[in-house]
Amino acid sequence: MRIPGLGILKGLRQTGRNYWAPKVTNQYPESRPTMPDRWRGRLDLIYDPFGEHKCEVCFQCAQVCPVEAIDMSGFDSEGNRIRYGMQEIYDERRDPNAYRRAGLAAAPMRNAARWDEAIDSPWLRGVIDGFGGRPEALVAIFSAIQERYGYLPERALRETSETMSIHWAQVFGAAGLGGFRLLPADGHLVTVCICAACRFAGGDELLEAVRAQLGISPGETTGDGAISLETSDEVAAGALSPALRIDTLVYGPLTVEQGLHLVTERRRTGARAGARA
Amino acid sequence: MDWDLLLGVGRFLLATTLILLLTVPTAFVVIQMELKIIAGAQLRYGPNRIGPWGMFQSTIHGFKVLAKEDHIPDQADRATFTMAPWMVYMAAAMSMLVIPFAPGAIAADFNIGIVYFFAVLGLSVVGLLVAGWASYNKYSLLGGLRSAAQLVSYEIPLSLSVVGAVVLAGTLNFRELIEWQLAHGWMLIWQPVGLGIFYIASLAEINRTPFDMVEADSELVAGPFTEYSGMRFGFFFFAEYLALFIMSGIMAALFFGGWLAPWPFPAQLDGFVGTLYGVFWFFLKSYIFVAIAVLLRATLVRVRVDQLMGAAWKVLLPLAMVNLLVTAVAVVVFKL
Repeated sequence: MRIPGLGILKGLRQTGRNYWAPKVTNQYPESRPTMPDRWRGRLDLIYDPFGEHKCEVCFQCAQVCPVEAIDMSGFDSEGNRIRYGMQEIYDERRDPNAYRRAGLAAAPMRNAARWDEAIDSPWLRGVIDGFGGRPEALVAIFSAIQERYGYLPERALRETSETMSIHWAQVFGAAGLGGFRLLPADGHLVTVCICAACRFAGGDELLEAVRAQLGISPGETTGDGAISLETSDEVAAGALSPALRIDTLVYGPLTVEQGLHLVTERRRTGARAGARA
Repeated sequence: MDWDLLLGVGRFLLATTLILLLTVPTAFVVIQMELKIIAGAQLRYGPNRIGPWGMFQSTIHGFKVLAKEDHIPDQADRATFTMAPWMVYMAAAMSMLVIPFAPGAIAADFNIGIVYFFAVLGLSVVGLLVAGWASYNKYSLLGGLRSAAQLVSYEIPLSLSVVGAVVLAGTLNFRELIEWQLAHGWMLIWQPVGLGIFYIASLAEINRTPFDMVEADSELVAGPFTEYSGMRFGFFFFAEYLALFIMSGIMAALFFGGWLAPWPFPAQLDGFVGTLYGVFWFFLKSYIFVAIAVLLRATLVRVRVDQLMGAAWKVLLPLAMVNLLVTAVAVVVFKL
């Protein structure tokens, strides 16, 4: 049975109880909430003792930001405009900055003009469909792209991001994994690990042997364009020390002989990575 | 010289001044109750910074309003625009003249106090209508007309609901009405239907939730007050809260024995102590009703405008008529 006014009385009872109930207001200046340990308050860029921004545009924050809220632009110490782009651009920018701060001459960027190389969209979609569009397959898709182009063109990454509905920062972050190249390079990429664990286990000897074998220093390419040599400190994260990476495949632990064998074998079999047989 | 006349004029001036002075702190207290009780119902603390327990928050608000810019729209009718706020305020303040605070503490002890009260309180409609018209703003004008429609509609059941009590007590004088209640028990027992109609209609008459269609803070443009700012708006605001206190006080006087204490205590004392005693009970009852009205505002949603008008004309008015008829018949039959 409906009694007129009963609802009003119930409502009054509720509000009346609320009046005597404990209050939820946070009395701010007197009682302050305890923040988590990693709470940093307002985000701000901090300065080093010389008055320079400590931010070196490494882009890690943008890569991990799930909502792509972070973007960067600005000017480096030489007045070059720094903006959102390929990670290697920032690497290149960062290293010259370090050079400039040390008063040294900076090296120019390589192959910078080929960022926006056109790609084969139907082929890329076919690859993605081949993996069922699953996000776990991202690295495998990258491998396929790199196998075809020799590196990961920006347009291919953008299209992957759009086709698979994955945030650009996540795609770009995954592309930063070891072995993937964001700029075109010649030949197979041999990366020798120079992390502390690898050097302790004989990485220096391995690097020296590979250098002698190829006749080039890290950052250079052999005369026939078959092999580029690089060093990195994150090839195997210490588990396979000493380690060496050829394109996207990691080998280790290696003796010097095994490493040399791998390099010479790869030099013999394929002149150019990405050039499909 | 006619000393009686002079004394009467002096007493009148004193009484009106005191009443006028009383209106401001009363409004402050009621506004403070509104702030605190609604905050409590919403699990907040409410104002707690100014003064002990934040009790001077509404006072500070009042002074803030004084300091604000007073703007008059270019096209507004200046004379009526400036007059409307104090018409509304004076309607509330003047109706306070007949409120029986305690034995011997009535500013004007008319023998037609109840008629005077409803007549003067109805004047606020004129003020609101003038405010809406003088603003030269269609929203204000619509707001003014809306307020007139509501207030005029509810004036009728409000007045009729009291007539039953008047017939029963045989007087239009508030003091005599309370003395009748001293002899016969509170009017609440004799006129429960009248009390219900009076309460609903009084909420509508003073624009309280759930009948606050006139201003409807959260939905409509501020009704007839749209173009008002500064202390001119403050007068409307004060009048609204003053009217809440006055209606609560009148309800206490008409139906809850006014200054009379509840049963276990001596209902009334003599002399100066008796006046203080009466003032205590009167204000206690009044502020309890104010608190209930504020709690209602925290509880209920606003009714629709068609429900509002329908309730006045189709329910409350016939009910008040029937109540009056039954009361009159009972008075004649049982020789009450």
